[in-house]
Amino acid sequence: GVHCGACRKMSVYELHYFNNRGRAEPARLLFAAAGLPYRDIRIQSEQWPEYKLKLPMHQVPVLEVDGTMICQSVAIARYVAKVTGHAGKTDLEQAKVDMLVDGIDDVMTKKGDYVWHEKDETRKMEKKNAFYETTLPQFLSRFEKLLLTNGGDGFLVGEGLAHADAWFLCLADDVLLDFPDIFTPYPKLAALVERIRTYPGIKEWLAKRPQTEF
Amino acid sequence: MPSYKLTYFNVRGRAELIRLLFATGGIPYEDVRIGRDKWPELKPKTPMGQIPILEVDGQVYCQSMAIARFVAREAGLLGESSSDQARADMLLDGGAEVGELLKEVVLEKDASKRAEKKKEFSEKSLPHFLTLYEGFANDSGHFVGESLTWADISFFNMMDFLTAEFPSALEGYDKLNKIIENVKSNPGIAKWLKERPVTDH
Repeated sequence: GVHCGACRKMSVYELHYFNNRGRAEPARLLFAAAGLPYRDIRIQSEQWPEYKLKLPMHQVPVLEVDGTMICQSVAIARYVAKVTGHAGKTDLEQAKVDMLVDGIDDVMTKKGDYVWHEKDETRKMEKKNAFYETTLPQFLSRFEKLLLTNGGDGFLVGEGLAHADAWFLCLADDVLLDFPDIFTPYPKLAALVERIRTYPGIKEWLAKRPQTEF
Repeated sequence: MPSYKLTYFNVRGRAELIRLLFATGGIPYEDVRIGRDKWPELKPKTPMGQIPILEVDGQVYCQSMAIARFVAREAGLLGESSSDQARADMLLDGGAEVGELLKEVVLEKDASKRAEKKKEFSEKSLPHFLTLYEGFANDSGHFVGESLTWADISFFNMMDFLTAEFPSALEGYDKLNKIIENVKSNPGIAKWLKERPVTDH
């Protein structure tokens, strides 16, 4: 928990999600980077119909902080980043982190579109090809440039790890499963992925986290 | 005082929340509206090939929600504590999800598919969303705490778009209607609503 100096109380964090990385993993990475304990709840699918009715928008992930529920994965990750000092130092840095997270979210949504929403197998294959031939390379090429505007050899924004880096690792983990060489044209991004993977706390989490397909 | 320059098309679209927040905060900014013909030239100069963009003393920021959050912070409309801010964030994100579903209805070209999607939206997604959000609103007509935050303004903006398709959507939702009233009666917003260019979306 986090020590609230004024009230000398440790906050209790519980993260509700399914047993996969999905949209909870950025928050899990941030907890790990800070060494901040939390209850990593993984809901079974049989429990879901009843479980969801207790949640603010009937969706997961949900972060419960001393009983208060916050939903929406981006909002959750931003909150965990704030309480652990990984949100960006100035207002402008925070805006830059936010814009990068939103850019990554857009790409993840496009990927999710063919993985989860397209039922027709031919269309699915077409969309997957379009994603890997156009959407993702365009994104990675822009992101390599954005990383270079911050020097290129550190994290995405400012001096330290921010939630944008956590989201980026999650995207990388996903796309590298399909195409292990996808980062070859983007050496700075490839190095960033390694930098995040070996970040103290994250390194240990990656070694011990449940291995799931997505 | 930093200089702010917002660039978008001459529509409300993804820039209007940002404009509303500048107006609420009484923060001066340049409201640049470009013609579609100027876009191909500008696109490669933007961080992610998209607008709106906000230039702050020469630094360029993209992603409408990131920009809106920044302006909300400068205008003191973010929410006070980290948990208030997280509450506002989650309500905005949930609203954006419904906004995407509404877009799918509005952008459907096939007339019979559109009618189908519109029916499904108005019978399932919309009431589900409004019922949840009526529950999130408090009696004083605010989503977060007891004063205006960007969560209220964002809801107002979304309803602006939604009621164009579904005029009576908010009937019976007393607390949500209070939120709309609170937003509309904010002096900065009232002035902007009178003065802003009238566009079809």
